[in-house]
Amino acid sequence: MNTAENESYSPKKGAVISIKDSINKTIISFFKGALEKKIFDAVLIPVKVPAGDSYTWILIEDVSLFKDAAPIAPIMPVQGANALSSLTRKGKGNLKIAAIMRPCEIRAAIELSKLEQVHLENVFLFSFDCPGALPLSDYVQNPPKGEEVFESFFTKNKWNEESIKPICKMCDNFSLPNCDLHFGILGTEKNDLLLIPNSIKGEGVLNEMGIAFKNDLSEWKKKVDEIKKQREKTKKEAYHTIQPMVEGLDNLAQTFAKCIGCHNCMSVCPICYCRQCYFDSEVSKFTSDNYLLRAEKRGGLRFPTDIILFQSGRMSHMSLSCVSCGMCEDVCPASIPIAQIFSFIANETQKAFEYQPGRNVGEPLPLKEYKEEELQELKKLVNDSVGQE
Amino acid sequence: MDKVLKINKSMEKGIIDLLKFLLESKKVDGIFTLRKLGQNNVDYALITDVSGLNDAVPFYPLMPANAGKILSHLTQKKPIKKPIAAVVRPCELRAFVELVKREQGSLENFLFISSSCGGVFPIKSIEQKDFDKYISNYWDTVKNADISADIRSTCKACEYFTPYSADITVSLVGEKKLDKECRIFLNTDKANQAIKGFDGEISEEEFESSEISSLLEKRKTEKKKLFDEIHIEDLGLEGMVEVFGKCIGCHVCSRVCPICYCILCDFESATYDYSQSDYEKELHKKGGLRLPPDTIFFQIGRLTHMSFSCVGCGMCTDVCPVDIPVAAIFQKTGEETRQLFDYLPGKDVEETIPVMIFKEEEFTELGE
Repeated sequence: MNTAENESYSPKKGAVISIKDSINKTIISFFKGALEKKIFDAVLIPVKVPAGDSYTWILIEDVSLFKDAAPIAPIMPVQGANALSSLTRKGKGNLKIAAIMRPCEIRAAIELSKLEQVHLENVFLFSFDCPGALPLSDYVQNPPKGEEVFESFFTKNKWNEESIKPICKMCDNFSLPNCDLHFGILGTEKNDLLLIPNSIKGEGVLNEMGIAFKNDLSEWKKKVDEIKKQREKTKKEAYHTIQPMVEGLDNLAQTFAKCIGCHNCMSVCPICYCRQCYFDSEVSKFTSDNYLLRAEKRGGLRFPTDIILFQSGRMSHMSLSCVSCGMCEDVCPASIPIAQIFSFIANETQKAFEYQPGRNVGEPLPLKEYKEEELQELKKLVNDSVGQE
Repeated sequence: MDKVLKINKSMEKGIIDLLKFLLESKKVDGIFTLRKLGQNNVDYALITDVSGLNDAVPFYPLMPANAGKILSHLTQKKPIKKPIAAVVRPCELRAFVELVKREQGSLENFLFISSSCGGVFPIKSIEQKDFDKYISNYWDTVKNADISADIRSTCKACEYFTPYSADITVSLVGEKKLDKECRIFLNTDKANQAIKGFDGEISEEEFESSEISSLLEKRKTEKKKLFDEIHIEDLGLEGMVEVFGKCIGCHVCSRVCPICYCILCDFESATYDYSQSDYEKELHKKGGLRLPPDTIFFQIGRLTHMSFSCVGCGMCTDVCPVDIPVAAIFQKTGEETRQLFDYLPGKDVEETIPVMIFKEEEFTELGE
């Protein structure tokens, strides 16, 4: 049984392990131990690049490579689900793989598995209470400063809401995704780290490692809820600011006026898995006659064309699965608050289907499922408009 | 001597008047130019209504997209059937010519208006609070044939800042009286026909000036500095890992590159989808594996695919989310490869792209 499908599992107890040197080092030594015990064959984990100015995903078999690993990295340069997808897209392999990722990366991986772009058999998902990530552009301008800022989240035991990505500030889904094992950072004693099994598979790993899990989770839960409440408030406020930016065509046009049509939001989006986007394909290219006609109709035609069509098209294609990871906003060369916009829209579309992307592998994608008695309120809308005609 | 049209108005006003004349007198049916959009922002637009030209800002120092790429989109399925005046920068015109050579567009029916170019600001500059000041400083440096401190590093190092195949060249670099006078060079018969009936004094003057030579010298110095900083000659594989280690593999450099016209980049094709057993073999060999793979491979591959035609516009560096100096590396590599073939991309549409010609007696030294 795939544990991620284990809907009913809810963790009651966790293990406490003491932090040695740092949270990251403690997590690494857990993985080293697990590799040595052959519980896994390899670990997918962020590792600092040789120049020391960013992180990349490395699948590690040789434990000496853990030297520069940082399970909780200050930035998210590549969405973990994309790394997992490049590894498992073509099907499962022989290796048992542990992947440690942020909650939004786990959710994206689960969405991608529903879209057949990730295969979770033989993959153990690990996550942690995520303090958010620093904006990529801030970090690359001054990596040592970024390290220092991020480090202080843990040493001062206070998450800094100021320096993280705007989308992280409003993330209320930062703890315990549908993973197998979760590292709890919040609400613990100063030198303690919680290890929370979140599936039968996760319990199995702890048993094999010989780690007992008897500790009560109430303090952790309390702290998680506290931050969740704060974040919910921030999210509400952010949505309030975003709403007028996307209401009606005129506002949309103004919001996307700076868009240069590079489609990099789509390139880095874990959900946008199409090898070739419809909006980059031959069908989306027109003859010069067509462009000229459009220009003449309105007195002028903007290039690149069809920017709103692309944005709203992408929205309708992927918003049900949007995990609000913020990759799009991190890479937008025109500084458009694209992740916040998509998060706002996604919140509405996901609500309409009572769907939470990445909540559970067993939950089908709303658009793949037909329910006869669904969206009855639309019937009324249609009837009303027919009545008017 | 070159033929020049002088207008006793500021350059800004003079150009708009000329564009309005072209449209009103039906010499052209549309003007392709930069247009002001909001506070500091600009976009490219094909304007067919004269009133639309009130927002036109033909030489505004921003490049939201390389116009060569846009003109290719416009004409790749079919040449445009009505005459259009396109106001583009020298590197954009060269990019378009390269694309036409690659059958990605058509020069037919275009009247090209370009200028001596002072460079453009990085796209992100518009977020600066004092962007207005950037703009006024910019025009001072253009008048004085200096290099603005705030322009793209690629522009600072650009030696090809005067156009090759423009019908009309507006003189900007070193024009001290830019606020009062506008000098427009007419390079082709098409240009002469186009301005017939337009109010202005025509005379013979040299386009090349001591100011242009002086800027060229300054640009050469900057280029050396830029290339020295990157010291690509010494890079080797380790150096490539050092520079491109932080690459996130988004491939936006290729998306905004005017030369990278492939609908589906080879490096995004199914050719490079590996199965887990492929990965496992690599993993056992190295003990660790970067995912997604092929970071350096992509960069080197793109270099070999397009560096002949790289026009050094700097779009790639401008959009790189992790600030890799992509353009400088490509510019330098492009320069080296082009020198082997004595080729300048986009200079002449008749000139064949080097890798498309086979010469029996070429590179015989490689066989030794």
